[in-house]
Amino acid sequence: MIGAIALLCACQLAGEIVHRLTGLPLPGPVIGMVLLVGWLALVRKARPTLDAVSAWLTAHLSIMFVPSAVGLIEQGPALARYGVGLVVATVASTILTMAVTVLVFRWALRRFGADAEPGA
Amino acid sequence: MSDLLATSIFWLAATLIIFQGADLLSQRSGRHPLCHPVLLATPPLIGLLLLTGTPYPTYVEATQFLSFLLGPAVVGLAVPIWQRRALIRRLAAPLILALLAGAITAIASAVGILALFGAPRAILASIAPRATTTPVAMDMAAQLGGVPSLAAAIVLLAGAVGAMTATPLFNAMKIHDYRARGFAVGVSAHGFGAARAFQVDSTAGAFASLGLALNAVATCLLLSALALLV
Repeated sequence: MIGAIALLCACQLAGEIVHRLTGLPLPGPVIGMVLLVGWLALVRKARPTLDAVSAWLTAHLSIMFVPSAVGLIEQGPALARYGVGLVVATVASTILTMAVTVLVFRWALRRFGADAEPGA
Repeated sequence: MSDLLATSIFWLAATLIIFQGADLLSQRSGRHPLCHPVLLATPPLIGLLLLTGTPYPTYVEATQFLSFLLGPAVVGLAVPIWQRRALIRRLAAPLILALLAGAITAIASAVGILALFGAPRAILASIAPRATTTPVAMDMAAQLGGVPSLAAAIVLLAGAVGAMTATPLFNAMKIHDYRARGFAVGVSAHGFGAARAFQVDSTAGAFASLGLALNAVATCLLLSALALLV
């Protein structure tokens, strides 16, 4: 348990160090995620605890960003001014992105994959 | 007594209790995307802050423990990527091409449309990472000079929209391959999309969680490159 948490924290710390040393504008935890994939590839063994801890964290992501969402309390003026634009842009972009992604995926499957759709 | 209002335990307890209530309501609704516990829990918490006259920075300080967990949780997204490495290798071309197309479309369309409304850079930077999972979007928005709380609200809305429109959209487009459908909803609507995809089909769910994990990296890389140029 502690080992898995230590590994996650160590990767995030390494990510923050890379972020500061290189000035790479990627968030430290995202660099940490990439480093962890590298670590898992390098040191291969079954890691049931790490699987369980990261699945638990992912399953409870929602409550962790409640304090940030409450920060909307300070965004009244921005919401009043750009609220409509924000909603229109978010809704349109979400639907358009799904359509483009699904079409490119299907096209590339036929072009490069050559495997049939499984039972679909 | 009033000094309690500046303590961690008061605000942690309040946040957990209100969130738990919101989560029960969300369950009752059959997990309807518009009844996401964060959407339900945020307004009463804002109300409680206003009622008690608590400044937001005090609340942030008091609930730091919850926000802290976001970092390790994002690092942990490496696990689903690693577990599905065989799938990634086998379908490398469609996954990479669809990921890039989706990430670029999400950034360009969100920023482009919002720019038409005359929004300044800080607001544009808050919507740019809208297709990534919430903690990544907040971090990335902050990196770009945006507003993390605004990014969180945008990402939640995107997730709700994606979860509600994915099935009718793909049916109308006559695309029935659950791999393509799941991946697309994960790339565009992150965790909400993945949760919805798992309700529909387990293959769709697996591809959706892969899409959300990969897009956290892809969107950040694209935005970092863009930030260096602009």
